[in-house]
Amino acid sequence: MQNLIKWTATAAMAFWACSAFAQTELTFRFNDSEREELRAALDEFEAANPGIAVELQTIAWSDSRDQFLREGAVGQGPDVVHIAFVWTREMAEAGIVLPIEQLTEYGAFPNGFDDFIATDLTAYEGKSWGVPWSADTWAMVYRTDVLAAAGIDDLPETWDDLLADSRMILKTTDSIGFAFPAADQVWFPFNFYLWSNGLSIVEEDGTGGYRVGASAEELAAAMDYFKTYIDEGLVSRSVLSIEVPHDPALLQALLDGSQGMALMPTNTYRQLLGAFEEANPGAEVPFASGVTMAGSEGPRTHLGGRTLVVNSSTEHPEAAWALVQYLTEAGLFEDYYTNQFPAQKSLLSKIDYRPEESGFAEQLANNTRTWGAYSDSGAGVGQLWNLTARAVATSLSGQSSSIEAAEGLVTEIERLLAN
Amino acid sequence: MTLTPAARDRISAFWMLLPTFLLLFAFYLYPTFYNLELSFTDITLLQLRQGGDPVGFANYAEFLRSPSFLDIAINTVFWLTFVSVSLMLILGLLMALLLNSEFLQRIRMTTFARLVLLVPWATPPVVAVIAWRWLFDPTHGSINEALLWTGLISQPIAFLANLTTVWPAINTIIIWNSTPLVAVSLLAALQTIPEEQIEAAEIDGATRWQNFRFVTLPYLMPTLSILGLMSVIWTFNNFVYVWLATGAGPGTYTNVLATEIYIRAFTDLRIGYSSAIGVVMAVVMAAFGALYFRVSGLMDMQDRVG
Repeated sequence: MQNLIKWTATAAMAFWACSAFAQTELTFRFNDSEREELRAALDEFEAANPGIAVELQTIAWSDSRDQFLREGAVGQGPDVVHIAFVWTREMAEAGIVLPIEQLTEYGAFPNGFDDFIATDLTAYEGKSWGVPWSADTWAMVYRTDVLAAAGIDDLPETWDDLLADSRMILKTTDSIGFAFPAADQVWFPFNFYLWSNGLSIVEEDGTGGYRVGASAEELAAAMDYFKTYIDEGLVSRSVLSIEVPHDPALLQALLDGSQGMALMPTNTYRQLLGAFEEANPGAEVPFASGVTMAGSEGPRTHLGGRTLVVNSSTEHPEAAWALVQYLTEAGLFEDYYTNQFPAQKSLLSKIDYRPEESGFAEQLANNTRTWGAYSDSGAGVGQLWNLTARAVATSLSGQSSSIEAAEGLVTEIERLLAN
Repeated sequence: MTLTPAARDRISAFWMLLPTFLLLFAFYLYPTFYNLELSFTDITLLQLRQGGDPVGFANYAEFLRSPSFLDIAINTVFWLTFVSVSLMLILGLLMALLLNSEFLQRIRMTTFARLVLLVPWATPPVVAVIAWRWLFDPTHGSINEALLWTGLISQPIAFLANLTTVWPAINTIIIWNSTPLVAVSLLAALQTIPEEQIEAAEIDGATRWQNFRFVTLPYLMPTLSILGLMSVIWTFNNFVYVWLATGAGPGTYTNVLATEIYIRAFTDLRIGYSSAIGVVMAVVMAAFGALYFRVSGLMDMQDRVG
């Protein structure tokens, strides 16, 4: 009996000792393509924090939101998760992330939480639920040699200019002028078109509520604008199955000069520049960027980006917070996550833009807006996005007329707002 | 108390079947009833922790009255299921007859042809769709290159983005991937036909067609019927081919029941509504199942009657 007690006590002490010195295992889910760079950054974090090991998990952006919502509902999922700005409220509403006010008890940011942009998108019921990590927007990208070959000296400024230049490029060079993803992410160009014409999918109604920010006829006219490119053969019908601006078909056409103009986010443009320089070492870069098109009002794109959230089911909130703090340091954006802009005002102001990126700098500084009413209405940006993209694609493909697609869209958004 | 042998048999049968019943309950009945329960609520993916509120038959009514219901039903029943399964059975039968023919034996290609036939079937559907997407690509796809080279077309065709070509393109992928199973099954059935019966028919003056129509086909009918019904069930439920090939697009042109469930659940986040569509789908499948058992039962009866 005495031996049994002795052995039990020894085993308990050994177990306690192992537990006390065991590493804290964190999981960080990351959705961008810079996996290797992030792994190197995490190695640096682990070296600076010997008690913490971080497993890097990657998942496609298209599955990321639903996957975490499902995991979080049953107390599972990674400790730190990389999400889109506009998903933060949904995650907070679902009760699967920790509030920043609770986490900052473990340590504050050097310039405070107010140093971050778009914190309004992380607010829900009076608290903040995520840390804006990177900032981006979309801007125009031009293949300067294609424009020169078509005799176009000035960059287009309006949507009408863009259409006219596309016609000119096709006529004189047989190349594609402006091409865009016409499936899922047609959401972005479509909204940019609406915003620059004083319209929107959702707007405040002036009485504290929300309504559809354009009539069916106005939405149909916007659809018709993009449909013109397909109907006139200014762009291949294959864009109807292209979901994202970084689709190889779009990027390859820009790289080989068979397309002259595109709309894309910052990180895609940096990847494009990198791919060109790798394939043509020492060659002059034939790309320029510019602000997006104006309509009846000035050009406007969204202030987008990524947020870091901490899972409310994490067993290691302090270590998770240490990781979040590390990931928002300036060094990460200088050495590892170089395709993205940081989301802190203090760091954004120090960015040294390349000459080819001047359009993005101008767009980010003066021509962006947040999702505002889209997000505040409670309809959910994700749901608005899906409904709109499907309706626009229905019109562009010829499956239904633009006015039918627009009327259906208005009905669906009104249902969403009513709920 | 002494148990009769029949009672002992029943008890031992019960214990032997119990693990199966438990597995069926855990992995089939419970999820089915849970799905049914969800279909009567307005639960969304954001409310999984809190649960949804009961809404009665509202989800069913909304789906069955939605403007897209008819399009989705036609896409699922006609384009996805009827066209694919019909062509799979016809092509599978032709391939089985070719593989069983003396011609292939004469040129010593039987084994090679049978091995080649298995390649598409052994290809996972995900890989098959990705490969075909590249083949159909308007700028780099070899199908467009071949058509341009032969002069059959002057401009590349965006097969998966064009309303007139998108369904035939999806059908092609499904048929390429699934027909070998039909062909191999029918080949096995062909090899069970007694040679004497075919020889006897030939001696009686039957033509090739009459031999096929009145001797071979009746032998193949049980296999063909079962293959047909099972293919209907597999294809009707299939999500992978349409979703990976077109994402239910362009627009919603190729949306089918399975992709509608996914879209409603995981892009619109409406779990309750998508569960209702799932129940509708299950009811349709149950009807197919009943048909399946009826056909099987009829064939069994015919076999016994001779």
